[in-house]
Amino acid sequence: MTFWNQGKALGRWALRAFSSATRSSRSATPKTVFISQSDDIFANLALEDWLYRHHDFSQHRILLLWRNGPAVVVGRHQNPWKETHVGALHDKQVVLARRNSGGGAVYHDQGNLNLSFLTSREGYNRRTNLTVVANALRREFGLEATVNDRDDLVLNGNYKISGTAAKLGRPNAYHHCTLLADVDLDNMKGILNSDDCGIETKATDSVRSPVCNLSSMHPGLNVASLMGAVGREFLRSDDRGVDLGKSAISRQLGFTLVNPTDDWFPGLEKSRAELASWGWRFGRTPDFTVRREFAVPREMCVTEGAKLQVQMRVVKGRVASMSVTVPPGFVSNAPEGEVAVLSGLEGQKFSEEAVGLVEAAFAKKDKSDKKKRFVAECVRRVVQ
Amino acid sequence: MVVCSVVVRRLLAAAPAAPRHVFTGLRWVTSTPVKFTDRKYTDKHEWVQVEGKIGTIGITHYAQDALGDVVYAQLPDPGQEFSQMDECGALESVKAASELYCPVSGKIVSKNTEVEDTPGLINKSCYEKGWLFKLELSKLHELDGLMDEAQYEKFLKTDDH
Repeated sequence: MTFWNQGKALGRWALRAFSSATRSSRSATPKTVFISQSDDIFANLALEDWLYRHHDFSQHRILLLWRNGPAVVVGRHQNPWKETHVGALHDKQVVLARRNSGGGAVYHDQGNLNLSFLTSREGYNRRTNLTVVANALRREFGLEATVNDRDDLVLNGNYKISGTAAKLGRPNAYHHCTLLADVDLDNMKGILNSDDCGIETKATDSVRSPVCNLSSMHPGLNVASLMGAVGREFLRSDDRGVDLGKSAISRQLGFTLVNPTDDWFPGLEKSRAELASWGWRFGRTPDFTVRREFAVPREMCVTEGAKLQVQMRVVKGRVASMSVTVPPGFVSNAPEGEVAVLSGLEGQKFSEEAVGLVEAAFAKKDKSDKKKRFVAECVRRVVQ
Repeated sequence: MVVCSVVVRRLLAAAPAAPRHVFTGLRWVTSTPVKFTDRKYTDKHEWVQVEGKIGTIGITHYAQDALGDVVYAQLPDPGQEFSQMDECGALESVKAASELYCPVSGKIVSKNTEVEDTPGLINKSCYEKGWLFKLELSKLHELDGLMDEAQYEKFLKTDDH
């Protein structure tokens, strides 16, 4: 059944459920739990965006549950190079995604559950949503989860089990969060970067916290059992997160499996392609300057402890300007100090692609192969 | 008395926004003429102030208060064109990215780089230093559909905002 037919059916159900819901509680908007059948981060982000843009939430609320393969997801205004080693992701088979909401960087894998609470702008309430999740963990797994003053979900007072972010528009809004069910935490720690890497930027930062998996506190807990628990709690709660009792579940619109494709959601593929594009993921990075110093091997210069500095200005993910400052004796027949800006790089993506161009540009200034490779290696470390 | 009241009327007529001390014949009173701005407002809590064909756009006090501390302002670039109510940027406060909507159709002429460097200006001075961007209006008649200050104040008092 296409989404439009489902939508019509949902609409009729919603109206019927709304009238019966109003008999029991005036503050229980009809609710549905959607479960995405895809584990592609871009398709799921596109699905969330489609619902936000096209659905009428004035008399309906949706909890969208989804998970995906390994990914680093940065916030809308973040710098991916500051949050992770971008160059290393490909080998680790981790993709980089940028979401539309604010907040910091998170790591997803199949052990992580994503929850998106989609409502009208008036119905948006982050704390209520997190309270519903905490209630679910308590009711079905006996876990002591609470919402702290940063609106983070924490276990036993201090371990973060969830990251939260939101997008507010008119007429709709959404709050989404992660839940660490059974994530590879070693992998996560290795991938989420806390190094400075010499980047100066106005981009939003991430705030690091100690984390733990829910499965470490309740063996056997997994994403599937979490989906059921949180979904049921969502359906039995009113709009303020107050439990209406188990019987309230049958008065709601239940669980629905959804497929994030054009057949179900017209126009979704175009949105998916945009979210997966280099232009969105990297090109939307706030402008930044990166400056790093590297120790020069003794045989390439005339003094001990000499440093080579690489500085780049990056605008919309591309190199706007670049300069290399060399120590005495590094470039033959040239004084120490700033080498003339290596031209030919402007407009190049801030990536491994720039390294080859740097090598070629440097070769014009100095015949030494070793020095050329050294400069290229320095630049490579900057762009990663 | 008559001379005094004529003097009073002339003084009041010439009064700028500053308070004037006026002798009414019985006692000195301070009169501050109320001055409404010519800003127009949308139901998305944005304001636009037009001079000729150039409109300056920002968000209202209600909006900045609801947002909380702004940590990042993503503003449209000069040269971009938008239709009325297109999403044209975002303001990020702690954990929420709020969309910016273009209140009138037009082409972006400039953006406030001071606000990009110091997003907190939006909270401190949303009508002056915290302006967001300027555009050249392409459909001046769209202003007729926006609220004036009195209508916006009334709108804030309703439940629907």
